[in-house]
Amino acid sequence: MARGTTDISELDQEKYDTDERVKIICLGDSAVGKSKLMERFLMDGYRPEQLSTYALTLYKYTTTVDGKAVLVDFWDTAGQERFQSMHPSYYYKAHACIMVFDVQRKITYKNLANWYKELREYRPEIPCIVVANKIDADMKVTQRNFNFAKKQGLPLYYVSAADGTNVVKLFKDAIKLAMSYKQNSNDFMDEVMRELENFELEQNEESSDKEDNVSKEEKTHLQ
Amino acid sequence: MAFVAKRCGVKFDPPSIVLVYEDGKTKKMRQRIMPVRNFSKCSDCSQAAERLKNNARHSAYLQGVSLQQLERLHAVLRDHLRGRTLEQSLASLRLDPDQDLNKLSDEELARRKAQMDVLFERNRKHKDDPDFVYNLEVEFPEVDDREAGSWDESEEGF
Ligand SMILES: Nc1nc2c(ncn2[C@@H]2O[C@H](COP(=O)(O)OP(=O)(O)O)[C@@H](O)[C@H]2O)c(=O)[nH]1
Ligand SMILES: [Mg+2]
Repeated sequence: MARGTTDISELDQEKYDTDERVKIICLGDSAVGKSKLMERFLMDGYRPEQLSTYALTLYKYTTTVDGKAVLVDFWDTAGQERFQSMHPSYYYKAHACIMVFDVQRKITYKNLANWYKELREYRPEIPCIVVANKIDADMKVTQRNFNFAKKQGLPLYYVSAADGTNVVKLFKDAIKLAMSYKQNSNDFMDEVMRELENFELEQNEESSDKEDNVSKEEKTHLQ
Repeated sequence: MAFVAKRCGVKFDPPSIVLVYEDGKTKKMRQRIMPVRNFSKCSDCSQAAERLKNNARHSAYLQGVSLQQLERLHAVLRDHLRGRTLEQSLASLRLDPDQDLNKLSDEELARRKAQMDVLFERNRKHKDDPDFVYNLEVEFPEVDDREAGSWDESEEGF
């Protein structure tokens, strides 16, 4: 795994379990415009937090969804995409993903397949939006077929961080998807984790009568 | 504008940026040579470009020259100091759409991004532009236009 970033797992990510917080991650090759898109959406209002030791930038954003205040953390890479792979903690507890390619560079489109594969290893279920960025450079690309999205059943947005086309829509929709995923989440990975924890406790019960009560209590907490 | 920039270039000895411009009053074409001082093969091109752009003696002439362009010219000068040929230097400045930018060093990547910035700035809508719209939504109806070409070809597994 990439160098110098293992400490990323020390970041407190339990907060993403609370109702009013979501985590949205950005993926894609170097220079496709991930950071420019973030900046265009947040305009002057953004407070990026450079976590250089983790090679990532966090952008915090507050909004309301269905009358409820929501705090969104956008995770943007800061160079780690170079290794064509992100640390598992980058994916951990993410509720939605924005996956970007550059319409001027075919290779970034081809690489979507790798990014998507890695995403699904860690987050098999979360909503993911495919983003064709830099359409200002050549409007004709909006008539081109990008079958990757269709094939994977993912929405495709044509955007430009430069002139702003569809940027705000993209982020607002990503937040909505993240929220609805969170509310209806039955994430496979998390389920497996829970099962495993229960399983260990049940075994404990068998091995020691004295600990029986404690174990039962613990078990109910977990459910 | 008093001076209208027409073309830019470099001179290697001594390292200088050259500007061809039109004098707004006389309508004559003129050439201005601006030596680049305190510049070595380790210098930061974007800092050097900024220094030149804000230079008291030159800034009036450089109004119409973007910071990115000055940065690229400095990159050519620095490449020369590093012993690269002009051809090599220009090739590295040209954008190759097939190049995998994931494989570049920080510095090379920054250079590519500076090149991309030229178009980005040209197409950029600023918040104080009169026609700026924060939430600009445009629908692109799905069309099956074979002539627009596809990036999917018949490659397997994609
Ligand atoms: N023409 C154009 N250029 C863009 C656009 N978005 C980004 N760029 C250019 O692409 C470069 C890389 O963008 P950046 O956000 O740093 O990419 P990242 O590495 O994915 O975060 C920028 O320096 C811009 O010059 C866009 O919508 N249109
Ligand atoms: Mg970035």
